[in-house]
Parts: sequence; structure tokens; C-alpha cells
Amino acid sequence: MDIISVNTFWTIWLLVHLLLAVALLGALTHQAVAAVMPVRQVAGPGGFVTRFRAVPAAGYATAICVLWILTFIVGSYIYTKYRIYIRIPIEQAGYWKTQGFFDFKEHVASIALTLLPAYWFFWKNAHNPQYDTARKMVTVYLAIACWFLFIVGHVLNNVRGFGS
Amino acid sequence: MSTTTSTTRATPTSSSLASSTKFKTFAITFAIVGPVIYMVCLFFNWPLFTFHPATNRIALGWEAARSGEGPNMTWYGWTATTLLAGSVVSFLATLLPETVTRKIPLILVWLIPFLAIPYLAWDLRQWWFHP
Repeated sequence: MDIISVNTFWTIWLLVHLLLAVALLGALTHQAVAAVMPVRQVAGPGGFVTRFRAVPAAGYATAICVLWILTFIVGSYIYTKYRIYIRIPIEQAGYWKTQGFFDFKEHVASIALTLLPAYWFFWKNAHNPQYDTARKMVTVYLAIACWFLFIVGHVLNNVRGFGS
Repeated sequence: MSTTTSTTRATPTSSSLASSTKFKTFAITFAIVGPVIYMVCLFFNWPLFTFHPATNRIALGWEAARSGEGPNMTWYGWTATTLLAGSVVSFLATLLPETVTRKIPLILVWLIPFLAIPYLAWDLRQWWFHP
């Protein structure tokens, strides 16, 4: 006897993908802002922006790698259903640019995956100024990529996702 | 008055992996060749395997969608090719002497992924200009 319906099963995985993505987005945004605009010294308690970028950025690296890989794996898992039940209706409706952006999303996610070992290495050697530029640029790239992936996923879900 | 100091820099790591020269070479090479291999896979359509989601069938290399069996998926295969080939190339790079690997330009680690974006946009032109 099935405990949950097929729709509920895939909806749960979609939500897991969403929650992992939200955690990743938050961590990467904090880290990218901290890398680009590090807090050197602040007199007083500091405002929202100062507190936002005053995070221990190096400590996020391993968690971000783990979150990226988990989000990637869960996204890859639900992609099989997307291909049949979401993409085909999107194509039938003629939403070509929406489809194009999803393909863009999958490419960016894979390319970003290949950067993770170097990203992790740069942050674990954050005391070495030799890696400063590479560390900042890779982190910014991952943060922009994550925002792009998140927004495209969100739009796709609005077009035909949750509950459809 | 309180003082907040920079939190971006970490104290020197105690992780053996993070201090390993071979891992450094592997990671930097992987970040450089990975996006290149992925773009080559896209251009020549070289998936390691093709997945047919409607029938859960996996075929080695590229295989067209079969009539009555739903669509085919090549993204898993492109990613697998990239990870496998990238790992092999990066492992081979670790066998090179350090005097050679030290010369790998770090700028390529982030420049190539940024340059990949316009290529990907071009590769997907069929969707942007679809009538």
C-alpha cells in the first residue's frame, strides 16, 4: 500500500530541492559580500549591511560545497520528471525562452560543479594572499550562478511546477 | 565603542587536503579543464550515456529518442563525461613536477567559467530565436 501519492512524493523532493537551494543562496550571498567587501574595522555596532558582510566567510566553504552537491543531486533526481511532465507541456505551449533558460540553468549548474574543489581549496587557504583574487572571483561567480539558478527554477515552477 | 575585525581571512588550515600541493594542482586543473570539456561535450554532443526517462533506459554514448518511448536526456551524460575526463586530466596534472604546475595561471580558474556564459547563450540560440 502506498503511504503517499506519486504527486506528493515528487512534490516533497521539489521542496527539498528548494530548501537546499535557499540555504545555499543565503550562505553564498553572505560569503560573496564578505569576500568582496570585507569588514576591516568598524566603530560602533554597525548597520545591517555591515553585519550582513561581517560573517566568518571562510567557515562557510565546506557547507557551501556540500549544499551545492546535495542541491545538484536532488535537482538531477527530479529532472527526470521535469523532462516528461514539465518540459513537454512548456514546449507545446511555445514558451521557448523559458525552455532556453532552463537549459542555461543546467549548463551553469554543471560548470559551477567543476569549480568546487578549487573554491574549497582557495577558502581553506584564505590566509594566503596569492589566492585572494581567484577566491573572490570564484565565489562571486558561484553566487551569481546560484541566484540565476534559483530565479530560473522559481520562474519554471510558476510556469508549471508545484501542483501541476 | 566596539570593534569588529575582518572575518574573511581564516587562520592557517590544519587540513592535510587543503595543504596538499597535489590537491591544489588537481583542483585548479579541474576548474580550468572542467568548463572547457563541458563546452566541447555540448558542441560535439558527447554524452557518456543517454538516459530515456520514460522507460528508465540508459544507453552508452548518444542515442536518439525512440518512437513511442518518450524523450531522451543527454545532460547527465555531458556532466558525467566532464567529471570523468576532467578527473583524468587533473590527476595526470598532479603527476607533473611542481615547477610546471606552479605556472598554471590562476586567472583561468575564474576567467573560463565567465567566458563560458556567452558561449552557452550562443549554443542555446535555437530557443532565443525560435519563431
